[in-house]
Amino acid sequence: MAVITLPYKYLERLTRTDRKTILDKVALIGSDVERIEEDHADVEFFPDRPDLFSPEGVARAMRGYLGIETGLSSYPVKSSGIKFTVDPALANIRPVLGAAVIRGVSFDDESIQSIMSLQESLHWAVGRGRSKVAIGIHDMDTVKPPFHYIASRPSRGFIPLDFKEKMTMTEILDKHPKGRDYAKIVRDFPLYPLIVDDDDHVLSFPPIINGERTRVTIDTKNILLDTTGTDKRAVSVAVNIICTAMAEAGAKIESVEIGGVQTPTLAPAERMVSVKECSRLLGIELTAASMAELLRKMRFGAEPAGADKVKVQVPCYRADIMHDWDLFEDVAIAYGYDRLESQPPKTFTVGKPHPVQVNAALAREAFCGLGYLEVMPFTLTNEDVLYKKMQRDEKKGVLHVMHPISIENTVVRTELLPLLLEFLTLNRHRELPQRLFTVGDVVDSCLTYQQAAGVSTHPDADFSEAYASSDAMLHELSIDYTVKESADAAFIEGRRGDIIVAGKKIGVFGEIHPAVLNAFELEHSVAAFEFDLRAVPGYPVL
Amino acid sequence: MAELTQNEKRLLAILEKEKKADAPHLAGLLGATPEAVVQWAHLAGDKGLVNVERVVAKEFVYTDEGKAYLQKGLPETQLLRFILPGTTLADLQKHEAFKIGFGQLRKKGFVKVEGTSVTKTPGASTVEDEASLREPSDANPRTKDLMKRGILQESETVRNAIAITPAGLALVKQGLDLRDESGTLSREQIISGEWKNANLRKYDVTKLPKKAYPGKIHPYQRIIGEMREILLEMGFTELYGGIVQQSYWNFDALFQPQDHPAREMQDTFYLRETLPLPKGYEKVKAMHECGGETSSTGWGGVWKEEKAEQCVLRTHTTSVSIQYLANNPNPPVKAFCVGRVYRRETIDTTHLAEFEQLEGIVMDENVSFGNLLGILREFYNRMGFESVRFKPSFYPYTEPSLDAEVYVDGIGWIEMGGAGVFREEVTAPIGINYPVLAWGLGVSRIAMLRLGLKDLRLLHKSDVAFLRETPSLRHNKGGI
Repeated sequence: MAVITLPYKYLERLTRTDRKTILDKVALIGSDVERIEEDHADVEFFPDRPDLFSPEGVARAMRGYLGIETGLSSYPVKSSGIKFTVDPALANIRPVLGAAVIRGVSFDDESIQSIMSLQESLHWAVGRGRSKVAIGIHDMDTVKPPFHYIASRPSRGFIPLDFKEKMTMTEILDKHPKGRDYAKIVRDFPLYPLIVDDDDHVLSFPPIINGERTRVTIDTKNILLDTTGTDKRAVSVAVNIICTAMAEAGAKIESVEIGGVQTPTLAPAERMVSVKECSRLLGIELTAASMAELLRKMRFGAEPAGADKVKVQVPCYRADIMHDWDLFEDVAIAYGYDRLESQPPKTFTVGKPHPVQVNAALAREAFCGLGYLEVMPFTLTNEDVLYKKMQRDEKKGVLHVMHPISIENTVVRTELLPLLLEFLTLNRHRELPQRLFTVGDVVDSCLTYQQAAGVSTHPDADFSEAYASSDAMLHELSIDYTVKESADAAFIEGRRGDIIVAGKKIGVFGEIHPAVLNAFELEHSVAAFEFDLRAVPGYPVL
Repeated sequence: MAELTQNEKRLLAILEKEKKADAPHLAGLLGATPEAVVQWAHLAGDKGLVNVERVVAKEFVYTDEGKAYLQKGLPETQLLRFILPGTTLADLQKHEAFKIGFGQLRKKGFVKVEGTSVTKTPGASTVEDEASLREPSDANPRTKDLMKRGILQESETVRNAIAITPAGLALVKQGLDLRDESGTLSREQIISGEWKNANLRKYDVTKLPKKAYPGKIHPYQRIIGEMREILLEMGFTELYGGIVQQSYWNFDALFQPQDHPAREMQDTFYLRETLPLPKGYEKVKAMHECGGETSSTGWGGVWKEEKAEQCVLRTHTTSVSIQYLANNPNPPVKAFCVGRVYRRETIDTTHLAEFEQLEGIVMDENVSFGNLLGILREFYNRMGFESVRFKPSFYPYTEPSLDAEVYVDGIGWIEMGGAGVFREEVTAPIGINYPVLAWGLGVSRIAMLRLGLKDLRLLHKSDVAFLRETPSLRHNKGGI
């Protein structure tokens, strides 16, 4: 999530109202106010609205929402006459380039900070950690157009930002902090992306680092923006968001020529939307005029086009408008969620529990009748608990998660019983007898199903108790079973039985083996059983 | 006054004659152990019927060493007896008492050593030491000395003198029912009518015996059950699905772009397993790449089959709902699912890598975003939360989206869950032509508030004492 710092003075000047009015309403356009400080507020915006990742963007939206200035903000763009060439060798490396000239900026420490953090937030939200989009800004007056985006040998060197010595690009990837962070994006290519001016001075090694030469300071008046990446739409969105934010701050935007095309245009996109469809989706009565007015409040250009249509101009910075419904959400926000009539739908339907849960509830009821207490262990566990301590072989269908958080959570449970024994360990100091049960999901490869298991521990817990309790459970669930001698090493030989249904083993019961008790550090005997609930007659097949 | 036990009555009856006596004496008369008599006396004492006086007596006892000296005399006495004129030090050294006794004699100045000969000093005598050994006394410093030498030990004996009080005496005068008491009512007594003469023991109703603990369901399961019941009452069909899901159903079918951060290894538990893509996956592919046949632009880029085939531990139960919708495309559909979901989070007191999610969907002709708000309001009201409010939010697969907040006294507004209308990019590829209202909430959050837990892990690694002591019926006030 992007948390944006909003300095009150700057925000008030841009929004043209006081901080209280802004802060009272900012959550209603979709945000969480994280902190209110003496001179600024930290506000979190959603990742679908990167246009709100700067005080300039927030002020633009709030002017609309508060009715201070509604409708489309237009941003005139004139040509800078500057060309930017793109090396065809970049096609498989980092092919997309966006650029703009931003003139007449007046920076102070705060506004430089603001543009830097906008850049970082865009790298995160739009750029996917710079792999999809990376942005560089340069002091335009230190370099000579035209500019060239080229694929260069990694051995070429320049002085990177924050360093005094010339370094090769290979060295930068190894030694520069930014180089180390982002090396993986370019490391494997034979040639690296590089931006140079007409005198062959290096501006930037995207997506890693700019050159020291073009550093932006509070004295910078004119900016060259470069944006490189792998996705045309994402690159263009990033350019539009930065240019319009700078324009909001008072700068003039000029286009550059890339591959014969003037870019950016900062022109809105058009969509024709249906009033009826919007009314139906939101559950409110709208006219073309009222809907257009609500859209203008959200800074869209919007005019009724007949009774059922509104012609919408979508500003170039609104990357999230992919579909008509995205506009309808803005209509709902402008209308106010608190004003929407909230009525449950009227269609008559009948509730129906899932048979798996009905069976689980029956098993719980029977367990409770036998005096067992329910526990709900985690489903992630490890091989040590599931198999090693139980003296059992690892099950074939066990699922290993690929990147476990800890050695405690490496596999998904295939049985419940080991987890109940772990529970007894945890509660060794509590009064005996302890009788615990659990009913829940286990997996066998990609298949999920439910099992039920119970343990009873006290000095007299034995085979007979395990047998009698499992018999009671199976009987209550109408499972018709037979028993044969088991070979399960978790139990004592001669005190263990396999539960057989239709010739197949569906469960086991018995007296836990003392070596298993030792492994779980238990001091009293344990009568235990577990069975597969799929043996319940009529159990649904997933 | 609390009821007297049979034993207390017997004790009082004896004391009527004895007035005051030691426990062993009374024990002899009552045919019981002195310990039992003291216990009865204390019970009667609590009622003011007898006085129990604890008399502590000090006594000297001999250690094994001391017992030997009683017979043979102290080592110094033995040596003194042995020393005759002409006795040499070498002779004396052969005596078994030499090691201890000689030191004592030297200390007391009873012997003189000149060259090889040893002689008694005039007046040397251990008579007083021997006397203090035989009749030890606190006042005698020699006794203390013997204690230091480990010959004597002090021991305390406690004697209980039991005396009847005037109140006890008065009670006995009123007459005591001394018939035999019985603890259990036997089958014999019941059928023979003998019960009429039986003197059933009366119990002290203020004393709780050893506690009994019922078998019961987990308090967290009870909260889940309450939510299920509310939704069943509201006409929803319950769903159940696997915890292992294909990325396709967990992400792609929900229009989550393949490069979305939530799909990265840091946030999701991936498995090595893959499953073949279902029929019709091409529509989802087209939706991602260019928006299919809708007004959407799609995400652009290339959608990769391999990424969608990979299995994950479901990150939400929406993977179950969306498959249900795909199989049940005709309205109306009202369904919900409660189940465990997985996020690759570092486990701490408020974050778990696995937790329960509850999710509901409604698909029908003419259902609206307003209806979604209505369902949520109704659900939270039924859970006991009276004030509910909504604010804009963002979820990748819903549009419009919202977050629901409820008001809890003493805490304030708490975010309870997210909701929205499934994007057309989600519904169109699976052939759904009507809006789908969807909402989800973290069940554990409510459980934590209701059960007053500071650590979420306790839901799954519970203390048995906590489970035993949490009553099945809890009075929820304002939802918690």
